[in-house]
Amino acid sequence: MNTLAYATIHELQEQLAHKKISHAELLDFFLDRFAQHDAKIGSSLEIFSKDSILKDYVPTGTLNGIPGLIKDNICQQNRITSCASKMLENYRATYDATALARLKNEGALSVDRANMDEFAMGSSTETSAFQKTRNPWNLDCVPGGSSGGSIAAVAAGLIPWSLGSETGGSVRQPAAFCGIVGLKPTYGLISRYGLIAYASSFDQIGIATRTVHDNAMVLSAIAGVDPKDSTTLMVEKKDYTQALKGTIKPGLKIGIIDNALNAEGVDSHVHSAILSAIKEFEKMGASVRTLSLPSMDYGAAIYFILSRAEAASNLARFDGVRYGLRDKEAHSLLQLYEKSRKAGFGKEVKARIMIGNYVLSVGHAAEFYNNAKIAQQMMRHEFDQIFKQVDILISPTTPTTAFKFGAFDNNKLQMDLQDYFTCSMNITGIPAISIPCGFSDDQMPIGFQLIGPHLSEELLMQTAYAYEQKTVWHTKHPVGF
Amino acid sequence: MQKISKEELLSLARLSRLELDEGEVNSLMHQIEAVLSYAQRVQEIAQKGIRPSVSTKNSNVMREDVVIPTDSSPILEQAPESEQHYFVVPVILENN
Repeated sequence: MNTLAYATIHELQEQLAHKKISHAELLDFFLDRFAQHDAKIGSSLEIFSKDSILKDYVPTGTLNGIPGLIKDNICQQNRITSCASKMLENYRATYDATALARLKNEGALSVDRANMDEFAMGSSTETSAFQKTRNPWNLDCVPGGSSGGSIAAVAAGLIPWSLGSETGGSVRQPAAFCGIVGLKPTYGLISRYGLIAYASSFDQIGIATRTVHDNAMVLSAIAGVDPKDSTTLMVEKKDYTQALKGTIKPGLKIGIIDNALNAEGVDSHVHSAILSAIKEFEKMGASVRTLSLPSMDYGAAIYFILSRAEAASNLARFDGVRYGLRDKEAHSLLQLYEKSRKAGFGKEVKARIMIGNYVLSVGHAAEFYNNAKIAQQMMRHEFDQIFKQVDILISPTTPTTAFKFGAFDNNKLQMDLQDYFTCSMNITGIPAISIPCGFSDDQMPIGFQLIGPHLSEELLMQTAYAYEQKTVWHTKHPVGF
Repeated sequence: MQKISKEELLSLARLSRLELDEGEVNSLMHQIEAVLSYAQRVQEIAQKGIRPSVSTKNSNVMREDVVIPTDSSPILEQAPESEQHYFVVPVILENN
């Protein structure tokens, strides 16, 4: 039955079309996968009952009967949406996020809520208030984060697709750590309506799958303008699988980001896997040049400031008044705020809120926030200029493979620097896709990212798909699932 | 190195409406100092001085202000405490 576990969405649809399996049996199969294997990796916070999954099932559409997993910061009507935080442990969403509503309209089924770093703040899923999620390739290692549950489940063949969210790399980094495909779309391509905000000007729903084609199918279902999110772009619904030709665009020009590939701390296995991938593109006829983006070296610093500033503002709404956790002992309104937030938030969230208020405060805004906004403009300008020279950029997704639990307990800054190669795309709003490209000596997956200008998803996917067709990495799966 | 004093940290916590445990003060202080010290490097790039105009795909979106009837009861059901159609909180202004 493992052929079903790691089947592509297209293969599952063929099984359904030829009546080799019914929709109900397919759902049972994946629910059973979770029942059998999720205790090992802890990807899920709640697996829904079959009846409740099928309650509003529309048996038609491009993803008819295909089950998926939703990160627990994306609202699912009448279900708990906890952000893996004590603050929202019992909070029930009153509506479906637009992305989820569109998936349901295409017949897709949401089978559970995926574990994550609390309020999407972290790079290992260790800040979840509820449980650890483990990397299916090595249970002693983290899956990455913050969308660790969404990614680990797909990598272990428990589900074909999942939604995560990206603010600084939270889909691409775990996708690289777990050997699957992770897309961070252009800011504004997917509606954020119903995505609980961390840093609103960076946040974007991302997609995790085992193949590029599957990723394009899910993107086709959810991308496009939404009247409920005024930051969505005027992009009409389209079929992104049409871009997957199996070959690269004729004359494709790829730029290697030298200051990423040759940055200090890039593992030698990662380095050589990326070089091999680049050779593969050359064989396909791409012209490759090396260039540098000096502003990327400031990406993490810009990201630390702007994301925390927005987080401090966004998370002010969790005050114990209207929903979420309330401390019952408080005797005044001020105490109610302070005690509810103390009990509801974990340490990482508290630190980020405080950093955000620091960089926005009167005495420090000029040095931190205002400078970061200028630096963001300069970075955007630099990327604009680079895309006049090349079509696409390539860099490692992460400097190393997945690390062990607790590796950065005594050095939180190093954990934060996990975003070093990924956060520049969130700062500039451009799309990027992480693709598996090999393994380290200890059999941990390695990924690279392709980066393009605004709304270049079709080119990114065409290029990623061509690479995938020439390589075997997407056919490798962790042992024991 | 960006140093913050304990007093500064506690005032930041108050601004953030967060009560802190004595036990977490030190580690939060170190964590925040490390992030701020790292983040200071934005000055280097910002001081290069150019403020380029850049392309952005986002533009202002206007719409009519339309009233859509909504049932407030599912939202009020989420409230830790509510009465009729109101959220209940502890006393705001005390009698002295």
